[in-house]
Amino acid sequence: MLRTTKERTHFRQPGPAPRFVTGDRVLTRSDAPVGHTRLPRYARGKHGVIDTVHGSFIFPDTNAHGQGEQSHPLYSVRFDATDLWGASAEPCAPVHLDLWERYLEPAVAAPGRSPS
Amino acid sequence: MSDAQHEHGHHHREPESVLSLRVRALESLLVEKKLVASEAVDRIVGAYEQDIGPHNGAKVVARAWVDPAYKQRLLAHGTEAIEQLGFGGVDLKVVENRPGVHNMVVCTLCSCYPHALIGLPPVWYKSFEYRSRAVREPRVVLREFGVDLPESVEIRIWDSSAELRYLVLPERPAGTEGMSEAQLAEMVTRDAMIGVAVVRPPAPAAR
Repeated sequence: MLRTTKERTHFRQPGPAPRFVTGDRVLTRSDAPVGHTRLPRYARGKHGVIDTVHGSFIFPDTNAHGQGEQSHPLYSVRFDATDLWGASAEPCAPVHLDLWERYLEPAVAAPGRSPS
Repeated sequence: MSDAQHEHGHHHREPESVLSLRVRALESLLVEKKLVASEAVDRIVGAYEQDIGPHNGAKVVARAWVDPAYKQRLLAHGTEAIEQLGFGGVDLKVVENRPGVHNMVVCTLCSCYPHALIGLPPVWYKSFEYRSRAVREPRVVLREFGVDLPESVEIRIWDSSAELRYLVLPERPAGTEGMSEAQLAEMVTRDAMIGVAVVRPPAPAAR
């Protein structure tokens, strides 16, 4: 529990190669899973952009339920405030979330947006 | 019962909260059942009070302010850079405030926090209010903390939803050019490293 030594966390584990690269547009899943998840409700079914590829990390959604570590890629995903909160969003206030690849799918070009 | 009612000179504390009573009951039960030694609890509490605290993060920030190569490493590889100063146990991402960009850290799902660098989180950081409003109306929240940023400044919110922890590298205030690394570290506050404050320039010395 008390870790003040130089040890790193054990959460970072080898896993499959990442499917996305920085700049990819993604859409988060909109499921409402029964068990543990780290995809907050406010960010479900939302469009975002891959900001950073963090590497592979233990997947809490399975690990918390005794279904194994199932380590796989984790990303920092940037969401524009208007994509999360609509017209009443504050200007210039993007939110970054650390999300596992299984929460994400490639975004199809939305109307009015050029695919990147 | 107030202290004024007592003539016998010893100190009476405020009534304990339910939470604090529950923690004490749990602790004495664990000690009684020999599951935990009370010295071990004291050592952990002592470590959080003396060894683990915002002064560690402040050292990292001050080093980044005086050493551009260190700063570059800190922003690119936070975990490795803090290990160099003897801190660890965390996968760290450092985000830099600069003209036009202000960063702010929250954990909307629970209360993830870079303990190794800034100690125990303040109560407000764990509150439902901060956790829900920091992502929804960060400018209003920042104004309530006394940080009024023009709309031209982008506010980047970092919601610590996985195992990485976030630390804000505040901007070095003007007027600190002649200060030593140790003097700079003294100016860096916990709130500035969470991103709900900026580091203020030193007050002119009173003469």
